[in-house]
Amino acid sequence: MASRKSRTSKKSAAPRRAVKKAPARAAKKKSSSRKTAAAVASTSRELVFPTLHEVTTSSGLKVIAAERGPLPLVSMRLVIRAGSSTDPAGKHGIADFAGQLLRRGTRRLNAQAIDEAVEFVGASLGVGVGEDTLSVAITTPAEHFAQMLGVMGQLVREPTFPESEVADARERTLAQFANDLDEPSVIADRALVRALWGKHPYGHNVSGSVKTVSTFTREDVVRFHEERLGPKVAMLVVVGSVDPARVAAAAEEAFAGWTGGPDKAPVIPPLEKVAKAGRVIVVDKPDQTQSQVRMGGPGYRTGHEDYFPAAVMNTALGGGFTSRLMNEVRVNRGLTYGIGCWFDAMHAAGIFALSTFTKTESTREIIDVSLGEIAKVREAGLKPAELRDAQAYMGGLYPLRTETNESIASAISDIRLNGLGDDWVLRFRDRLKAVTPRQVAAVAKKYCFAEPPTIVVLGNAAAVKKQLKGLGPITVVPASEYE
Amino acid sequence: MRKAPSKTSAPARAADPSLQSLFDVHEATLPNGLQVRLLANHLAPVVSLYTFFNVGSRNERPGITGISHLFEHMMFNGAKKYGPKMFDKTLESNGGSSNAYTSHDMTVYYDDFSSDALETVLDLESDRMRSLRISQEMLTSEREVVKEERRVRMDNDIGGMMDEELGSLVYKAHAYRWPVIGWMADIEAITREDCQNFFRTYYAPNNAILYIAGDIDPKKTLALVRRYYGDIPRGPAPQPVINAEPEQRGERRSTVRHPAQSPAVVIGYKGPSARDEDTLALDVAQYVLTKGEGSRLTRSLLYEQKVVVGVGLDWSWRIDPGTILFFLELMPDSDPQKAEAALYAELEKLARDGITERELQKALNNLRSDHLRELGTNNGRAHAMGNYEALLGDWRHVLSLPSAYASITREQVQAAVKKYLLPERRSVVTLLPAPSEA
Repeated sequence: MASRKSRTSKKSAAPRRAVKKAPARAAKKKSSSRKTAAAVASTSRELVFPTLHEVTTSSGLKVIAAERGPLPLVSMRLVIRAGSSTDPAGKHGIADFAGQLLRRGTRRLNAQAIDEAVEFVGASLGVGVGEDTLSVAITTPAEHFAQMLGVMGQLVREPTFPESEVADARERTLAQFANDLDEPSVIADRALVRALWGKHPYGHNVSGSVKTVSTFTREDVVRFHEERLGPKVAMLVVVGSVDPARVAAAAEEAFAGWTGGPDKAPVIPPLEKVAKAGRVIVVDKPDQTQSQVRMGGPGYRTGHEDYFPAAVMNTALGGGFTSRLMNEVRVNRGLTYGIGCWFDAMHAAGIFALSTFTKTESTREIIDVSLGEIAKVREAGLKPAELRDAQAYMGGLYPLRTETNESIASAISDIRLNGLGDDWVLRFRDRLKAVTPRQVAAVAKKYCFAEPPTIVVLGNAAAVKKQLKGLGPITVVPASEYE
Repeated sequence: MRKAPSKTSAPARAADPSLQSLFDVHEATLPNGLQVRLLANHLAPVVSLYTFFNVGSRNERPGITGISHLFEHMMFNGAKKYGPKMFDKTLESNGGSSNAYTSHDMTVYYDDFSSDALETVLDLESDRMRSLRISQEMLTSEREVVKEERRVRMDNDIGGMMDEELGSLVYKAHAYRWPVIGWMADIEAITREDCQNFFRTYYAPNNAILYIAGDIDPKKTLALVRRYYGDIPRGPAPQPVINAEPEQRGERRSTVRHPAQSPAVVIGYKGPSARDEDTLALDVAQYVLTKGEGSRLTRSLLYEQKVVVGVGLDWSWRIDPGTILFFLELMPDSDPQKAEAALYAELEKLARDGITERELQKALNNLRSDHLRELGTNNGRAHAMGNYEALLGDWRHVLSLPSAYASITREQVQAAVKKYLLPERRSVVTLLPAPSEA
């Protein structure tokens, strides 16, 4: 199937609908409305957010439950402050690797038994690792909720990491690194992360690299589990059609006696400076007829006061279909199928980045036009009407983030991890509406490449390099550099 | 009054009681043939509107392949009341967003928006159905966008390349043989007149169904739909699509050489049409084979034999007989024939011994969970109704599918596997890494 928008195509598994890949962790939202619309059918203008019930288990795990219907499903998520940013030197990728292995055997269940227990009842289990957290998530038919919570408890309390499973996972991960080299957008993203963050703890691929993963042993994984996973740096969020009192009882049972892990969450330093600011990295992939283009510079951490003005500014610059970048690069010039920019805010620091692609011949043009649009916003901010439109867009669609158990569970864990306040969702649209043109102008000056950005181009280097003169010192590297 | 294309609905089935209460749907047909389905849900102040047009790449012919997709883009480029750029601008500044997709069988537009923008959205959507303007300038520019889309999805993407090759191997006569996005030369050649004809025929109200789900009052909403869409004239009846696909008489193979780290294999078996009862039995087989870490192929090929790093199966429903698609992701320097043989051995076992009672129950549990999850949002509900109506002839399948699956027997699954997953029905595309030409 082909769709009007979206950034990547996926293998042949044509889903029944268009798949849109949002930039990692990009925040998007909005408010209010103007003009034509006669409010016809609206019966509930206020957002509905479930009441949060909080308890702590005897093992010290914080549990937050929110009851919500009508579908007989429950979504639960255990978030642990054990992301890739504290992977030790030489062992980059160990958090992700260990995360994948949690479900490959516990003291009471081998991998097959875990799969069978979860999958037979129609539940699904996923383990996700990012820079800041490791999360175990299960969505289940409501009637199996306590049993599934029990499985989750076993996964984190008593994984056994069988030697053969470790060896197999290592082989699969290494093969995946190799195959990733055939995914132009994946490699371009990876190159940008490395070029922006450098040696900062957020600067390595979450999954590590061939060099580090090749060294992983069972002892590394066991050590990671003992030292990094524990109730004091974890939080369980349960949302769906289940009584909070039942959640409290089931969590007590599932996590009783869980010990280990650190007493406090890790402290990650802020970003001192962008590693390759003002430089151009050309990742050579000679078979390409198209260039993947990325640019980036510093942003802000989660919970930063710049969040609302920056989010509105970003919407107008590179958010929806009417953003300045979309308009100038795609609509007016037909240079690309997709372009967008976003703030990637993590716990300790963040970045501002742009992503697009175009045929090899127009690589320089797309960079110049994009930089020109960003410069205009940096120098003059937004017009008042643009600001209002961006606020309306984000505010109108914000309630979509409260539609599913999964999205509410994710909002609750973000709120709690980053200290955003439990009224975050309910007050979101008011805060958005309060953003002023002056605030927008200030964040634009700060984040819209006040310093020259880092530029990454993945494509046919021989054809692209001569186009890039004058943008900054150019380094050409083979794609295999990012394996 | 004629209904949308002549469809015989799949057999009636019992509705699932827990779903029935969620689907209090109001239906109507306007005098111009436009059908409307309305579903209220006041959990959040948002609405999803879907418009399903009964046209996709199966309605194309060589020379204008890709026109339904190119045309999908053109629908955003200006009509009589809302001119160039005004569709997105008006929608977004009123708290909404929009997108669309084209498949082999249908073209689907959707808007998600704040509920107080409902009337604006109906004004926008009806404007472009009534009076789209197709300018040469817009066509020229949008064509470039679509060419970039083709480059990113097909020409620079190994999966896309293999898909394209497989399509034209599986089908010899049917329009499913070309990719939905079309051949590059055809994208180049499509004219403004082609687009105008396409619009008149396929984008008429009698070829469309609206689905509106969310924070709405169905009665008032229907009055608005009548006001905004009521005066759009009917279009001519679209030409029926002829399925001239000949019987396949033996395995077909093709090789793609391209710079790559690892070989890969995709295998397509000719399947039935979506409305065939076998479709549901094949869904169960799909879940037994590849749904979850404990599924047969994942456990055997990935974890036990270690001959693949990824295995997938996609049985995607189509109006005319579709393709049961397997894909094998391999390690560098591995042998694609070995992985293929391992797959065939599993399929033969399935045909020979069938599935266990527990596997059947597990598949049914998962089909039901996935179905419920799809219905967790307004967008999901509206899409599900439209998709089932387009493929099966009635949106009510959204209510009855869980019980339809529940009546599938192990014998039916085994019979479907025996009937479709035969060597003489398959086509195989192998990717062999070629050195990069620097």
